[in-house]
Amino acid sequence: MTGRWLRLAGFTVALLTVVFAVVLASRFGTDPGLVESPLIGQPAPPFELQTLEGEGTVRLEDLRGEIVVVNFFASWCLQCQLEHDDLVATSDAFADQGVRFVQISYQERPDRSLAYLAEAGTSYATHYLHDPGSRTAIAYGVFGIPETYFIDEEGIVVGKIIGESNAFILGGTIDAIKRGERPGQSVTGDTQQRPDA
Amino acid sequence: MSDQVRNGITAGVIVVMVLTLVGLVVSSPSHADRVEAIGSVIRCPVCEGQPIADSPAQMARDMMALIDERVRQGASDEEIISELLASYSGAMLLDPPARGANLLLWLAPVGVLAAGIGIIAWWRSHPRPPTPPDVPRQGRSRRRTLVGGLILAGALGSTVVVAGFFLQEREGPFVGVVSLGTQDLSEVSNETMEAVISANLSDPQINGMRLALAERYFEAGDYRAAFPHFLAVAESPQASPGEAVAALTRLGWMVWDGNQEAGTAIQLFDQALAIDDAASTAIYLKGRVVWCGMEDSGEAARLFSEVLALDGLSPESRTAVQADLDAATRGEACA
Repeated sequence: MTGRWLRLAGFTVALLTVVFAVVLASRFGTDPGLVESPLIGQPAPPFELQTLEGEGTVRLEDLRGEIVVVNFFASWCLQCQLEHDDLVATSDAFADQGVRFVQISYQERPDRSLAYLAEAGTSYATHYLHDPGSRTAIAYGVFGIPETYFIDEEGIVVGKIIGESNAFILGGTIDAIKRGERPGQSVTGDTQQRPDA
Repeated sequence: MSDQVRNGITAGVIVVMVLTLVGLVVSSPSHADRVEAIGSVIRCPVCEGQPIADSPAQMARDMMALIDERVRQGASDEEIISELLASYSGAMLLDPPARGANLLLWLAPVGVLAAGIGIIAWWRSHPRPPTPPDVPRQGRSRRRTLVGGLILAGALGSTVVVAGFFLQEREGPFVGVVSLGTQDLSEVSNETMEAVISANLSDPQINGMRLALAERYFEAGDYRAAFPHFLAVAESPQASPGEAVAALTRLGWMVWDGNQEAGTAIQLFDQALAIDDAASTAIYLKGRVVWCGMEDSGEAARLFSEVLALDGLSPESRTAVQADLDAATRGEACA
């Protein structure tokens, strides 16, 4: 082998090493929260949660046959505050159309969530629920809030919105589900992971 | 102490040591150890690259409590990890498994190292021969250039393929984004439009959507649903002149058609015409109400003539207005 051959081979090895290093580094930078939820296309994890007021429980199974929109929120989440009016308006607008909104308080005491909702306003058609131990949030793979999941009439998770949504996005997603489409996952903005984050 | 006793003690100590060692080897890890071990391979979803076992975050503590509960219930480590991955995906593992796309990353350093060692070994076992004086240097140089070019092309091709593969995988989750700006309103339901309007009452841009929704209700004959939206646009300080005229004209017609209130209808048409005196629809509909509600065929004929004098009428509209003008001019009752 000549010196030039050797240099070419060495250069190739070095180039491949750099390529793999770059790829590896880019993988380290991938936000796991943005990876597509494995729940999409799967049966929605069941839950039975108490209302924030502590008056009775709501079971996902009892909502079968309706499109269910599950939103995780907290009073300490800015993006949740920004989308709140849109959630209320969309819930009201679709209340008679076989669509049920469920808002689950994320890592917050019920009294704090209730105080927030008393100020921000509520939809008469939405269930506001408490999730002790974050069991439902874990079952749904919540990385940060707001996260909103769409479950079709058959109980299959067909959509997920990561970040702040609005009435157009929420309603548009519901319209798509009603047309028989599966909207999948979309990222609309940042999420907040902890009260201090 | 006799030898027999010493031997017995020695044998006893050995047996105890062996049993202890065997016990340590075969005994299962404690409950806490298992919880800790599982928690140490799961990435905390609300932290930066930290296992849930080491994170003080509430979410990590909740996940550890769940793992603890599942261990108590008798679930295996694999079952518990699989359950978490079913919700969160494989990205939750701190060490990605060596399979699928990740296998490439695991094997790449080994492959590159092996290639390097192979090249060096090959080079050492094949010392460079002296250049024969009779071989033309130009031909050898061409061969080297060709082979070198092929190697470079191969390397670059691999780079593109590998980078494309990973970049594609990263972009995958963003498929299906519902975009506000690109949605066709014809595919948007009345409920969605109602929700958008309700959530954006203070937005001056909302009048366009209000009118579009109100027109849908109007065309469907649902005056009860259309009326509040037309009224909101008519009363909106942010409405454009065109939007206000359209809303007032529809309101006038609904007041007449729904409630037979000719006076109020004419007032509303006049409000529209005060904004745009060439609003052909408002003039024509006012003529219809004057003719049918006030039974003033002369004034109706004057208004129909005014419409026909305007530019931009479609041939169909012109024909219809002309027919009404002819009938009103003959003093006939409105049809």
